[in-house]
Amino acid sequence: MVDSIGPNHSNKQRGFRSNYAVSGGGGGDEEEGAVREQERLLPIANVGRIMKQILPPNAKISKEAKETMQECVSEFISFVTGEASDKCHREKRKTVNGDDICWALGSLGFDDYGDSLKRYLIRYREAEGERLANQNKAAAAEAAAPEPLHFSFDLMDKRRI
Amino acid sequence: MRQPGAYSNLLSGGKTGPHSLPLARIKKIMKKSGEDVKMISGEAPIVFSKACELFIEELTRRAWAMTLQRKTRTMHKEDVAAAVMETDIFDFLVGLVSHTPNPSATPES
Repeated sequence: MVDSIGPNHSNKQRGFRSNYAVSGGGGGDEEEGAVREQERLLPIANVGRIMKQILPPNAKISKEAKETMQECVSEFISFVTGEASDKCHREKRKTVNGDDICWALGSLGFDDYGDSLKRYLIRYREAEGERLANQNKAAAAEAAAPEPLHFSFDLMDKRRI
Repeated sequence: MRQPGAYSNLLSGGKTGPHSLPLARIKKIMKKSGEDVKMISGEAPIVFSKACELFIEELTRRAWAMTLQRKTRTMHKEDVAAAVMETDIFDFLVGLVSHTPNPSATPES
């Protein structure tokens, strides 16, 4: 599965992002800026939930701490993607794949993540293979097919090694 | 107040499938990271979804250690910043946590 090029409004500035609507530049519309803000951050609800899950039950997290975490995660994605993309470029490949991400994580010092994720990626590919095989069988047989595999990987056990 | 019930329905309901972070958004952020990021395989955002979870967990754990040092139970952004400062692999975040303005409407000094 590969995605084609979309409009690319890449922002080369890393590490100096405002939490508010567009700062600097040519007087952008505030509403537009707010929408763009949303697009470059992961949803605060998801981020907050992950944070909450690993803290003790009576822990509280301020909104600004969650917002800071949102910013950090987006920066993390950019940082790792950049490294993976550079590798693809060096190797004259056009598509950044899961292996490149795993490699980039290791290269940038996130060794533990890289190892867990390599295993995850193998299981994902196996599950995808099975799912597609099942779909093909169903299409061929034209009979009531079994439910496609819903892969649901829980890294809880692996994460804490 | 937090209503986890409403949110977890959203998350498990199918928009994000078995992953806890929205794949489309992850892909958008990846594409914005550079001019030369053109094609992204379908599995890359899935790998990132887990990588981001691990990242959030690690940074949260370290930030919480800072919170405990302040003898309180509420994590503030200063705790996240402190955790970044003391962890080598989070060096790429140093500029971000030093410059993010306080969203509580007080202008940054």
